[in-house]
Amino acid sequence: MVKLDDIKKECKSILEEGKVKYIVGYKRNNNYYMSIPAFIEKIEETDQLIWDPTCVYNLVRFLRDEKLRKERQKTPDTRPIGVIVKGCDSRAINVLLQEKFIKRENVYIIGVACEKSGVIEKKKLRKKFNEKNIKQIEFGKDNNFIITTEKGKTTISAEEILAERCIECNNNTPVIYDVLLGEKVERSLSEHFRSLEKFESISTEEKWNFWKKELDKCIRCYACRSVCPMCYCDECIADSISLAVKPDTTAEEKAQKIRWVEKSPVSSENFSYHLIRALHLAGRCIDCGECERVCPVDIPLRYLNKKMEKEASEQFGYTAGLDPEKPALVSDFKDDDPQDFII
Amino acid sequence: MEEKFEPKIIAFLCKWCSSAGSDLAGVSRMKYPPNVVPITVMCSGSISPNYILSAFKDGADGVLVSGCHPGDCHYIKGNYYARRRITLVKELLEFIGIEPERFQMSWVSAAEGAKYTEIIKDFVKELEPLGPQNKLRSNL
Amino acid sequence: MQMILSKMNFSSWLKKLNSYRIFAPVKSGEVWSYELVEKPENIILDYPNTIIPPKKVLFPQREVLLEFESSSEQEIKLKEVIPEETPSVIFGIRSCDASGLAKLEKIFKGGFEDLYFSKRKNQTILVGLACNIPPSPDCFCTSVGGSPYSKDGLDILMTDMGDEYYVESVTEEGEKLIESAIGLFNDPEENVKKELEKIHLESEKKIKRYIKDIDKISSKLPEIFETEFWDKESLSCILCGICTYSCPVCHCFDINDEVICTFPLKGKRVRTWDNCQFPDFTMHSSGHNPRPDKASRLRQRIMHKFNYFNENCMELLCTGCGRCISKCPVGIDIVEVLEKVRVYEK
Ligand code: SF4
Ligand code: SF4
Ligand code: SF4
Ligand code: FES
Repeated sequence: MVKLDDIKKECKSILEEGKVKYIVGYKRNNNYYMSIPAFIEKIEETDQLIWDPTCVYNLVRFLRDEKLRKERQKTPDTRPIGVIVKGCDSRAINVLLQEKFIKRENVYIIGVACEKSGVIEKKKLRKKFNEKNIKQIEFGKDNNFIITTEKGKTTISAEEILAERCIECNNNTPVIYDVLLGEKVERSLSEHFRSLEKFESISTEEKWNFWKKELDKCIRCYACRSVCPMCYCDECIADSISLAVKPDTTAEEKAQKIRWVEKSPVSSENFSYHLIRALHLAGRCIDCGECERVCPVDIPLRYLNKKMEKEASEQFGYTAGLDPEKPALVSDFKDDDPQDFII
Repeated sequence: MEEKFEPKIIAFLCKWCSSAGSDLAGVSRMKYPPNVVPITVMCSGSISPNYILSAFKDGADGVLVSGCHPGDCHYIKGNYYARRRITLVKELLEFIGIEPERFQMSWVSAAEGAKYTEIIKDFVKELEPLGPQNKLRSNL
Repeated sequence: MQMILSKMNFSSWLKKLNSYRIFAPVKSGEVWSYELVEKPENIILDYPNTIIPPKKVLFPQREVLLEFESSSEQEIKLKEVIPEETPSVIFGIRSCDASGLAKLEKIFKGGFEDLYFSKRKNQTILVGLACNIPPSPDCFCTSVGGSPYSKDGLDILMTDMGDEYYVESVTEEGEKLIESAIGLFNDPEENVKKELEKIHLESEKKIKRYIKDIDKISSKLPEIFETEFWDKESLSCILCGICTYSCPVCHCFDINDEVICTFPLKGKRVRTWDNCQFPDFTMHSSGHNPRPDKASRLRQRIMHKFNYFNENCMELLCTGCGRCISKCPVGIDIVEVLEKVRVYEK
């Protein structure tokens, strides 16, 4: 397991050398057992850093904020920012590089290997514990988790509260980094697409009933979109303006804009939003699970993206975020791509 | 007597092949059901999933995407890109519980008027038992 | 009017109210929300709190304001859609949410009367449930002028006394609701009244979060308007809509025309919730955005709640329900932000 001291040491040294402007990592939430994102600028602040199974956030999301901030500043500090990434998160960086949204020199990547563990899933945790009583969750030996409650410490086997996506993950080691902490260990806890199995045996109507019930709950808070490192479009079809208005956008252009999705949280609009989002993330989603985690009404969004991931992998042999030099899934084709369904 | 359900099909046809193919069917006076509203686009590669979803939203019972045969695209590669993209759309629609028959893709060249009429005939036949498509229809 | 209702009689009371539409917290999966209940006898009042506050019943997320249709080239017909609400009762409202509705009333029925809101509000009776145990570790109602058993905004307050509810009417409407089934209720004995007082006082002590010197913070806010404070505090914000949509008093909305058919023109003018955290909220049609970044948006949320509204209406636009703290996906904590405002030095 990666030692917290190693993370702190690395962060201290790059801050000391002035290599980075600041570092995005994890720190403790003062009132809660979860971690929260930490923005570390000063050497002494590195003591706040933590590394535990509650480090769920995909911090790559914040590279977009940094980019916007720089665009607004007249004389921006052009040094890179440091970011702590897990295996899945690192692939998000590759996607952003592939799409030329960021440059490699904009970011200093501190890769942390999950080895045989991963992060927790709150939904699973809640089934076993009263969240209010939890004080802390730590990595234990043999890939177990140690949970501290008011009553003391309990050890719980990883699979019981490990995020489903971690169980299915086969990129437990970062694929791009400036420094890698922890060890590269092979592991395959389970089938890569096991969570989709339950959809294979159900009928069309059952599928529809499932998704209708789930997506009708959506309140269109767009937390799923806001948290996603890949949802960086200036112009999202779901926004009421739905075009990036720049000073040189003409009145004509504004008037001609089509409204694909209305803001109303009704069934048809919710489906449009989520289907388009899933399609736009096909070949880009790296299954960090953030969208599903943040949804306030517990919509299992991950299945949509996972389904696209599965088709990309099985039909086109493509996995998102492995190689920034290769063309993206939908900007590429092979002569012999499957076409059995085409008449 | 109950009125027979007449499915409405929106067909996105590329200008260079499929649309020309449908024209050929027309000028050759081949018979096919009048259930289809053709929309000509420049290339099958230009069809955004938004088009497909909004057709379903506006009440299409079935949607057809049709382009030139592989290798024949006027823009060389458009239909190859379309093939990938449409595969994903198709898989996703099925995954959320839309009947697979409702969304189809075909290759129709400018000479294949007859093929076009067959596709439409079969499509209508497949849609009839399904009844109207209400799942994705706008409920604003 | 102060009465005792045995829990066994609760569903009989609800059955008597069959001329009303009844809303109550309903659980689906792990999520509670206020819904119209078909079978009131199934209502469970033992619930933490809903994700979305009861404002959604009176101020729905989507509301059709008017319908338009062009009958000929020259003429467009407009039809105003004013809600014809049947009398309703909302059961199980927490005190914080009830005071939220009272604040919303000041906004929607203050200087200008919003018919859509007020038609509903006038027909709705609010039955509250005191929080003997705070439903969330993030509750801080007592810091913002509320309490776990506050009657502000309610028509009736119920308190769970174990096998029975202590039912107090606050308004005439509430009294009528009790009287309509008076046979089910008993008069409380003196010792029960004492017991009630004890439960209420203890519930207050169980609130863990507290904002110190809220008045000072309120007046200090304008002084730090132009500082770096907001940049720092908003770093982790992802600009989603959770904190505002789940807030019992956030009330910003957007109005759009939803065109159903372009020829002949037909559609609806619709009001939907909107919020100050979305990047397009303040976007001008010129492309200029006066609140261009996260800092200015977090600042707006805090300023509106703890300063602007306070200056206009002499109260805070926050009820201490703690939802924005519990639900924020990145742990932004309004109580902590305010504490940092309190100690901030330029
Ligand atoms: S986070 Fe959940 S509720 Fe919010 S927009 Fe996404 S799916 Fe809808
Ligand atoms: S879609 Fe969800 S799981 Fe995929 S990258 Fe975005 S936030 Fe992560
Ligand atoms: S403060 Fe939290 S809940 Fe509010 S917009 Fe920011 S991230 Fe979302
Ligand atoms: S032009 Fe026909 S598919 Fe591209």
